[in-house]
Amino acid sequence: MSATPAALGADTRDQDRAVPFFRAARAVFDLSLEGMVWSRRSLLMILLLGLPAPLALLFRIFITRLPSRVSGFDFYGIVIAFYYVRNALPLAALFYATALIADEVEGKTITYLLTRPIQRVSVLAGKFAAYLVTTLALALPAVVLTFFLLTTIRGWSGIGSQVPDLFRDMGAVALTLVTYGAFFTLMGVLLRRPVIPGLLFLFVWELLANAPGYLPRFTITAYLRSLIHHRPPDEGMAEIFAQVLPTALCLEAVGAMIVVFLAGAAWIFSTREYVLDQ
Amino acid sequence: MTRSRLVVTGAAVVVSVGAMVALGALYLDPARAAVGPLPPQALSLPAGTRYVMGLDVKRFVASPLYTKYAAARAANRPQAFEELERKTGLNPERDLDQVYVAGSQAGVPGRSGDALVVVVGRFDRTNVAHAIETEKKGVTSKNVQGTIVYLFSEDRTGRASGATAFLDDNTLVMGTQASVEQTVIARAKGEAPLRSNPALLALLEGVRPGSTFWMVGDQTLLSNMPKAIPGPGGPGTSQSIELPALKSLTVTGDLDPQVSLDITGEAADEPAAKNLADVVRGFVALATLQANQKPELKQLASAISVTTEASRVHVAARVPYEVIDSLQPKRAATAPPPSAQ
Repeated sequence: MSATPAALGADTRDQDRAVPFFRAARAVFDLSLEGMVWSRRSLLMILLLGLPAPLALLFRIFITRLPSRVSGFDFYGIVIAFYYVRNALPLAALFYATALIADEVEGKTITYLLTRPIQRVSVLAGKFAAYLVTTLALALPAVVLTFFLLTTIRGWSGIGSQVPDLFRDMGAVALTLVTYGAFFTLMGVLLRRPVIPGLLFLFVWELLANAPGYLPRFTITAYLRSLIHHRPPDEGMAEIFAQVLPTALCLEAVGAMIVVFLAGAAWIFSTREYVLDQ
Repeated sequence: MTRSRLVVTGAAVVVSVGAMVALGALYLDPARAAVGPLPPQALSLPAGTRYVMGLDVKRFVASPLYTKYAAARAANRPQAFEELERKTGLNPERDLDQVYVAGSQAGVPGRSGDALVVVVGRFDRTNVAHAIETEKKGVTSKNVQGTIVYLFSEDRTGRASGATAFLDDNTLVMGTQASVEQTVIARAKGEAPLRSNPALLALLEGVRPGSTFWMVGDQTLLSNMPKAIPGPGGPGTSQSIELPALKSLTVTGDLDPQVSLDITGEAADEPAAKNLADVVRGFVALATLQANQKPELKQLASAISVTTEASRVHVAARVPYEVIDSLQPKRAATAPPPSAQ
């Protein structure tokens, strides 16, 4: 007596056809999330992205003992605009997103992924989704805790007026992670050693955001920081030439960048031949 | 559930709880106003209002600026307040919450006195009404839609130089007779004429509720401002700097823990905004140049930043009280007593 494959619980999928995109991406996502959340890199990122929360606690404790020059909400503005959007989130994106494919190449495990009957784009999509969930899970709780620690220093009265800024900032944080993540994913599939060029991009090229004229429009950070409306006054060059770009333009530019970077990364990853060193 | 999913779920719970608390605070905030920082009763202001200013008296009185400077300097202030309290039972520092000033004719010559003042607080209506009636001669009253309006110096034609009325137990309105009566009628009918002024409402929406002081106004408010300022050659020279006209102006400020001022002006277009921003930056640069003679000016200049966003110019100033102290004129040294000859 012979049993059909379905009766035995075996996979009835046509073995000659690739696994559907979303199913494959979901499987890669599950696999990548487990490796990404529990890693030494994430330990470092927890320290980097969670730092403002203990700092806010210290600020809250010591503001009553020291002559205060900065209000809690101003300090929160500094944390979001200068610490998160300008430095910590792009760094987190750099270290995670450039490694999405590079780690597989470095560890010579890319062969196992590419020999599966799944589309290459679904590998990239699953890994990018895992990156996004990991970084959002590390950053957003710290943003929320920092907000409440800093804005309730003098009590809960008047906090209602600052709540819209919290939601706007959470959106800006998410957009920052998506945009820089897309950019560094592109760098990760394009370059063999993407970290140094990535650092140069972040801390040299992005300084153009403080330049006069149309130069800030050639950076990513100028669009993202313009989405933060309560940032405190800049200093130095930024103070002299600071521009706040219109919100609609920022959203359009950021949306276009995300699409272009991700499409470019997907195209390169799909067509590139990976030859591993023996 | 895997360990990674546990971490992600924990983070999602923290963010969701935070978002719910934030939404609850937004919904339950007692300071939540009807439009921007305005309370519902202020929506009875006339539809033709062109500018509105507000002062949060509680925050102002509690600020270091008030406790440090105003209270220390004005030696006769307590006496004036004591007299007011004796006559009306009203202690402004204790009983007033908000003061709003609104007007419609700021830029029209000879019509600058149409400002309407709305005071929100806790009043002993009997004592205040008695004080209004007895303090000055020539105070009459009339019933407008069930509300008593007190008229000052009413002539035979029924016109008065000023008027005041209680909109409710907590709201006193003062100003010209026409504007006070208009406000009283609108309040009695349950109307909100200010809602039919979309331009001003849009400006009010942009004001952060909770500011210690704020002001919004359209070009009418700014029409008395100079159109040009003397150039580097000084007054009398042919060089002068043209100031671009502003379509609207929004000012918000706080006084604790430092003096924070945010000014947003809407220019006609982007080049005009950049031009205006350059003018302001020029003044800041001049102050910086003066820093050799007055080091405190350097601190002041670094406390001000100017940015542009399309046709808007945004000036933000964060001035610590130490800088304000350093800008105060130093007291002359006490002369030594003349020595006995």
